[in-house]
Amino acid sequence: MINREEFLNKRYKSEKRFQFYGKSAIVLALLFLAVFLFKIFSTGYTAFQKTWITIPINYDPEFMYLDADQKPSIQDLEDSEYFDVGIESFAALDQNANEDQITDIKRMFAFIFEEEIKYHILSNPDDFGKIVEVKLTASDDLDQVFKGNYPRELPEERRRVTDYQLKIFDKLNAEGKVESNFNFSFFTNADSREAELAGIASSFMGSLFSILVCLAVSFPVALLAAIYLEEFAPKNRLTDFIEVNINNLAAVPSIVFGLLGLGVLLAVFGLPRSTPLVGGITLSLMTLPTIIIAARASLKAVPPSIREAALAMGASRMQTTLHHTVPLSLPGTLSGTIIGLAQALGETAPLILIGMVAFVNTIPGSPMDPAASLPVQIYIWAESAERGFVEKVSACIMVLLIFLVLMNLAAQMIRHKFEKKWN
Amino acid sequence: MNKIEAKNVNVFYGEKQALFDINMDIQEKQVTALIGPSGCGKSTFLRCLNRMNDVIDICKVEGEIKINDYNINQKGTDVVRLREKIGMVFQKPNPFPKTLYENISYGPEIHGMAQSKDELDQIVEDSLKKAALWNEVKDRLNEPGTGLSGGQQQRLCIARAISVKPEVILMDEPCSALDPIATAQIEELIDELKKEHTIVIVTHSMSQAARVSQQTGFFHLGKLIEVGSTDKIFKNPDQLQTQDYITGRFG
Repeated sequence: MINREEFLNKRYKSEKRFQFYGKSAIVLALLFLAVFLFKIFSTGYTAFQKTWITIPINYDPEFMYLDADQKPSIQDLEDSEYFDVGIESFAALDQNANEDQITDIKRMFAFIFEEEIKYHILSNPDDFGKIVEVKLTASDDLDQVFKGNYPRELPEERRRVTDYQLKIFDKLNAEGKVESNFNFSFFTNADSREAELAGIASSFMGSLFSILVCLAVSFPVALLAAIYLEEFAPKNRLTDFIEVNINNLAAVPSIVFGLLGLGVLLAVFGLPRSTPLVGGITLSLMTLPTIIIAARASLKAVPPSIREAALAMGASRMQTTLHHTVPLSLPGTLSGTIIGLAQALGETAPLILIGMVAFVNTIPGSPMDPAASLPVQIYIWAESAERGFVEKVSACIMVLLIFLVLMNLAAQMIRHKFEKKWN
Repeated sequence: MNKIEAKNVNVFYGEKQALFDINMDIQEKQVTALIGPSGCGKSTFLRCLNRMNDVIDICKVEGEIKINDYNINQKGTDVVRLREKIGMVFQKPNPFPKTLYENISYGPEIHGMAQSKDELDQIVEDSLKKAALWNEVKDRLNEPGTGLSGGQQQRLCIARAISVKPEVILMDEPCSALDPIATAQIEELIDELKKEHTIVIVTHSMSQAARVSQQTGFFHLGKLIEVGSTDKIFKNPDQLQTQDYITGRFG
């Protein structure tokens, strides 16, 4: 005979074991997530800081090719050359520097030093003829040195930073001339070949426009298709066939949609290459099945008794659908839409095929302008050799993740609002 | 006077025949009860009367159903107009997930019955009064209809059905999900409603049929076994099968 006491204990034990397995699975998943986020944040957070070096700039009229005795107008300052001002000021940092060493010093700064020097004198015309301290953007290599990401211990020939540059830099640093501030240009600049100047403005706007186009195209089409299939279409072979194919469409690799976009939108319709318009339409092909499936599922979840109630009141089928079924299914449809858009936001392959992988150093003002997108930007930067792009990759991932989190929050809020209304 | 006349009605669900040659007359401004064991076709017959079977793809209805001498199964019948004239109350209370007010105003609105907001308010009030619900809900018309108790919800559904002033009200086991007190309230209401409406009610409870109806039809295995005045069916039925069912020998 079975000992029932023991049998019961066994049951309790197996239940405890089962719960333990479940908890371990959750802990493991959270651990992966934590490691991932830690890695991203620890490499990426420095990208939000930018290093500046303050040096005395000699606004000598001679270097600017201007008359020393006459106060120049703003227009004169605007038209003037500042390359020599920069070079002479760099040379002044080390009296004994030879020509190669002056070039080395020049390379310690971002190539836009001329504009920065010009910008200073334009906003402070009184500094004409004087030697004043001006903040210049450091080159990406020194930026990394200052942030402590640079392997100084490597032998010189394997470094992009020379010993001479490090000597000058350390001297300036000791004098407190090196500082780092919040990196606004990361958000306001478009992409650049120089890591210290590269920003995500172009790719962020590109992603935003693509998503908006994608939403505008896929949501109405998917909603109408779902409503027709679920509420109106007769159940026969043809609709079964369509249903199977929609489900298949959701499983098609995204790169295939990219080829479709390339072959149809660019080649046949001649839409402008590399634009969010084409990107958005291509992505909408991917989101369509996702939204249709979500919308159909939530339409199906509306109890038939509601439909019967409306029909029995003498509502037509269209009225039943538009007044009752669709509003009740909207929260589910919307969350499906957001999931579809979030997938589209992270999609890279189809955008590469339609040319959104191009190097774009302008910020798009409309969906018709060439643009990159955030995931493609990550891909482009991850391919770059410069050390300065490593942190940019992580920072861009952070921005993408925040974008996704915000979208999900928006979805939750919309959902919450609708559910309140209907309960 | 006959309000509804059904002649040789056959209903098929795909291959399966659910109703066989039903012939039945339903009297105006009386309550007609349809009784019989589960699956006997009484609900199917009820749903023929406002063509709710159209919703089911595989369902096919044959025969003639005349309401006010008009065959509703003929081609070109406008089901929207038909269902305006023939209201329905379902087994499970199914208020719309909207406010109490919107639940009642929906029918008059889609049929364009009210010229003004005041008129609509009046229809809502009248319907709720007729359904004996007004006093309980008059202060919370803007609360959701799904927040009421089961019995109140069912009376809300009745109020919704009568809001468009139908000539016939079909009730499909309206009390099966309700407790005895709520059931008594609905039965009282049915008694009141028959002054203005013709009522057809499907019920599982023979005592309910005996209490509320004047006419009773007994269905068994898709056939109408016997139809007549409720008194006669319950006291002195012609058919042995009816006798057996009434006395609880089967079903």
